[in-house]
Amino acid sequence: MGTEVSTSPTSLIDQTVVPGDVVLDLSNMTNQTIKLGSGLFQDNDAISAMRAGKLRYTKPNKYWVESSHKRYIPRPEDAVLGIVVDSKSDNFWVDIKGPQLALLPVLAFEGGTRRNIPKFEVGTLLYVRVVKTNTGMNPELSCTDASGKAAGFGPLKDGFMFETSTGLSRMLLSSPTCPVLEALGKKLSFETAFGLNGRVWVHAAAPRVVIIVANALMNSETLSGTQQRIMVEKLLEKISE
Amino acid sequence: MEGRLANMWRLTVNESKFVETALQSELRVDGRGLYDYRKLTIKFGKEYGSSEVQLGQTHVMGFVTAQLVQPYKDRPNEGSLSIFTEFSPMADPSFEPGRPGESAVELGRIIDRGLRESRAVDTESLCVLAGKMVWSVRIDLHILDNGGNLVDAANIAALAALVTFRRPDCTVGGENGQEVIIHPPEEREPLPLIIHHLPIAFTFGFFNKGNIVVMDPTYVEEAVMCGRMTVTVNANGDICAIQKPGEEGVSHSVILHCMRLASSRAAATTKIIREEVEAYNRERSLQKVKRHPTLAKSVVSGPTVVVKEEHRKSSDQEKAAEISREHVERLKLSSEELRSTKVEEVAASPTNFKGGPSKWDPYSEAMDVDSLKASLASKGDSVTKSSSKKTTNGSGNAEKDAEMSVEEVTGDLGKKDTVEATKQNDGEMTLKDAVKPKKKRKNKNN
Repeated sequence: MGTEVSTSPTSLIDQTVVPGDVVLDLSNMTNQTIKLGSGLFQDNDAISAMRAGKLRYTKPNKYWVESSHKRYIPRPEDAVLGIVVDSKSDNFWVDIKGPQLALLPVLAFEGGTRRNIPKFEVGTLLYVRVVKTNTGMNPELSCTDASGKAAGFGPLKDGFMFETSTGLSRMLLSSPTCPVLEALGKKLSFETAFGLNGRVWVHAAAPRVVIIVANALMNSETLSGTQQRIMVEKLLEKISE
Repeated sequence: MEGRLANMWRLTVNESKFVETALQSELRVDGRGLYDYRKLTIKFGKEYGSSEVQLGQTHVMGFVTAQLVQPYKDRPNEGSLSIFTEFSPMADPSFEPGRPGESAVELGRIIDRGLRESRAVDTESLCVLAGKMVWSVRIDLHILDNGGNLVDAANIAALAALVTFRRPDCTVGGENGQEVIIHPPEEREPLPLIIHHLPIAFTFGFFNKGNIVVMDPTYVEEAVMCGRMTVTVNANGDICAIQKPGEEGVSHSVILHCMRLASSRAAATTKIIREEVEAYNRERSLQKVKRHPTLAKSVVSGPTVVVKEEHRKSSDQEKAAEISREHVERLKLSSEELRSTKVEEVAASPTNFKGGPSKWDPYSEAMDVDSLKASLASKGDSVTKSSSKKTTNGSGNAEKDAEMSVEEVTGDLGKKDTVEATKQNDGEMTLKDAVKPKKKRKNKNN
């Protein structure tokens, strides 16, 4: 099954693994509780990867495999960017780049009642939260956080939206701030919304700024931190000429 | 049905508003100028008449094939040209397999008109027997990825494929001069089509009620634009075709402006296509060059090989033994050499040369492809052979033709000295090989 067993858990962390790689050997780690995230499978003492991607670890005991795709699999508590496809009496049909269209109840807004149902035309961009994803059923969304407050969810006005891979979205959402965002933020002022489904929304006062930011973000997926900074510098130089 | 709904690409209100707003300030979403084209790459395939064009994200492949058919009754002296488009569902979620949709038919028609009406391809030269047999050239265009502006990319793919296509040579013969004999490529070089000029298509997108014009629209721009137009021009400035499929009305000054833009760019694009085709043709002709044996000692790139010489009229058994040893010998060389398409000179050490012209006749034997394949498949140990026979004639160097396609190699090489020869062996051919195919050739001729 596995090709090689890692002798210490740190050897494959942040490395690319492929399905079948044995990433952890439990016999070496005694008296520990380990939490396995997505992409890992336990077979007695050997933990092997089920997906291709990077093996990640956070203290104290979480391991998981992270990969980047163009398609999105909805998960609860994910914040995504959806496009309204249709509006029915009690639901909006929203496309979140998953295998199925998602449902957004008309009342799932802060202070939402039957009296003040928002009117979204087809093609409206929404920042929504995934609430439920049961197999066989369409995912359910909400424009409030768990406690019922708006918390930034809702329609996004103006700006520009483009689609990328899920890996890039995650990188742009990571903390500490991604180098490309830092470098751009030093010189330009803009607003962004990142959906874990690979959709990115950028807004700024001038269209020029939006275009610069959008292109910089699109190019930054495979670049390292320093490369991102260099790319942004070059881009800004070119523009200011 | 719902699955398909989920897969569709959707345009947001934000995107369409932003594209329009940015265009007011002459900005395009990918940072291009209004009349800038995306990066164009043209690649060619192994066979004649296959091309692959990438224009930014848009990816199109073109294939040209030809067949002998009966001509149309009203044009008995002309061959025909037909274009088929296939919009693969992998290119765009809205493409369906099966019957071509409206845009597929339109694309085919634009390219067809550009080539046929302007007589870019000479159809009279495609006539073999007037009224009976003509060549029918078929262009297949496969859309692999739709990143916007399929017409331009497909047009370039069609042109690139047409220019590099070679059709078999054929002669009229037979008892009453009515039979057409098609010559295989080994016998006679296939011929290119006669193409008078290259009609290049340029697509324009209109925004803001026709006031803003953009060249080479991307996928998003195509979804947002309110009208479009395609102008097919050649490098001489002749307009070969114009297509404006309804939608927003545009003033005539804008139309003329577009045509001027197109003709000013036609020369540059024609140059790019011709250069790429030139480079490709040069590479292909290098592959075919048969270098004659020289006396110079060449650099050894493979292991040292001792070739056992053999007289041409050796017995079959000996031949078989020789062949197997040769396979082993050839296998010592790296597989890259076997697959290399560069012809390299083979040299024997100067002591090998006994004087006299090479007896190697390039046109009497065919190369045995099967034995080569067998040699590639099997594994052998490195064996050094010692020669045992002496030949009557002087020996030149074995000429190695590295091409895996059936190129004719003569078997007259025959004789070599039984001295350890260091040679650059491409692996395809040895002297012994020349002997073996002789038998096979008889079968082919029958």
